[in-house]
Amino acid sequence: MPDVERLERTLEAKAATLPKERERFDTWWFLVLAVVGVVSLLVFVKPDPFLRIVLFLRDGIGVTVRITVISFAFILVVGLIGGLGRLAKNWLIHGIASLYVEIIRGIPLLVQLLFLYFAFPQVLDGVGAWLIKLSPSLHGAGQWLVDVKPDPFVMAVAGLTICYGAYMSEIYRAGIQSISKGQMEAARSLGMSYFQAMRYVILPQAVRVILPPVGNEFVALLKDSSLVSVVAVSDMTRRGREFMSSSFMSLETWTMVALLYLVMTLFASRVVAYIERKTAFAK
Amino acid sequence: MQNEIIVIQGAVKRFGRVEALRGVDLTVRRGEVVVIIGPSGSGKSTLLRCINHLESLDEGCIIVDGIPLTQAENINRVRAEVGIVFQQFNLFPHLTALENITLAQRVVRKRSREESERIAMELLKKVGIPEKAHAYPAQLSGGQQQRVAIARALAMQPKIMLFDEPTSALDPEMIKEVLDVMLALAKEGMTMVVVSHEMGFARAAADRIIFMDEGVIVEETTPELLFTAPKHERTKLFLSKILH
Repeated sequence: MPDVERLERTLEAKAATLPKERERFDTWWFLVLAVVGVVSLLVFVKPDPFLRIVLFLRDGIGVTVRITVISFAFILVVGLIGGLGRLAKNWLIHGIASLYVEIIRGIPLLVQLLFLYFAFPQVLDGVGAWLIKLSPSLHGAGQWLVDVKPDPFVMAVAGLTICYGAYMSEIYRAGIQSISKGQMEAARSLGMSYFQAMRYVILPQAVRVILPPVGNEFVALLKDSSLVSVVAVSDMTRRGREFMSSSFMSLETWTMVALLYLVMTLFASRVVAYIERKTAFAK
Repeated sequence: MQNEIIVIQGAVKRFGRVEALRGVDLTVRRGEVVVIIGPSGSGKSTLLRCINHLESLDEGCIIVDGIPLTQAENINRVRAEVGIVFQQFNLFPHLTALENITLAQRVVRKRSREESERIAMELLKKVGIPEKAHAYPAQLSGGQQQRVAIARALAMQPKIMLFDEPTSALDPEMIKEVLDVMLALAKEGMTMVVVSHEMGFARAAADRIIFMDEGVIVEETTPELLFTAPKHERTKLFLSKILH
């Protein structure tokens, strides 16, 4: 479309005369430069122990990123289901969703992770044994439950998803409620079903509203993922502890771990801000 | 095809302890334009919203085009036949004018993108703003937004159009452009139920005027008789207040 092209060119020309936002030397850039500067300075000036620490942490960084991103994908889905459940008129669905949110929000994440990894397998054992006793036809399923070993990574993702899914449910609920009732009425009056109205009218608007709190959740999750180190996942924090216990260099190790988390969270919050700008629409 | 397209019998609607409708009977014939007037809180908007089941009745029944509004599947069938235009426009702010008009056509009527866009452009021409097809609601004036909302409802090819105070949220200079569209629609023979205090429109287009107060129909008459010879005291009092 030539019209659009022309418009784009005009806008570009206009933008060139204005100071660009990304050229602005704001607080974020200052922080990032400072943190990255400190990290490189330490690595170059004192490669021993700092370069050694970074190399030792490297696979832990990967695990931390992977666990955060994978959990977050699940959290977005669980949160949507939970949020819709909280808004459901059906008392049973509403009750289940509310119970989930209220219970999970009241238990510390660390305790939830410990329960999932150490206590939950015992529950499975018990159920398995009961199934075996109940009927020979259920022996296979029962035996499987007794034999199954919890995979640390899977349990960590499950724990983070269950916990953050509850918080995310509340964010989705608030976001959907922030869209005026008239939008749902207009969509329904055109013959759309409840789910069509949600999919095409309400959620596209709600997503823009909840983007900032969702971004905050992502950054918080990135940090809270350090708790999975207690359930045998070799994330950055656990690798840091391993390095420390072999080298006894607490100050150097935890300084580097803290700086690396900071770099990651700063970039994450910037990505969120970028997405916010990209998805904004004329109000 | 029977002549009565909307039949309302003994409609009662309560909001908590407040009775918004206290036994309303109303029949609208095919092609008729009915204007409902009355003081605020008289139940006129509630009655309108009950016709396409945005509110459900507590007692009584509504039959639209032979379909009783009771079961869930009937409600969706009726909604496809009944377009509604709201006081606050309720356009979808994240979609352009064109997309506002095509969305339900594609999702509900399963029309192709090309066909729904062709219909949308025709309707935008009809309401006089084809050049705004790619504008977002926030970039349109109130009058333009309301005309897009009318086009959006018409795109579903409804048999009945409901208007819930369509000009009450508009600046005075924009009221006419919306009323002109509604007048044209009335001339084409569309069945319309309009809640509005635009007496000029009522005089020009209405076949019947209904005066509601405190949840009941007080008077049912023609525009000429309403202005020259209102029967009830309450109607006279109300008219003296709105016709300054």
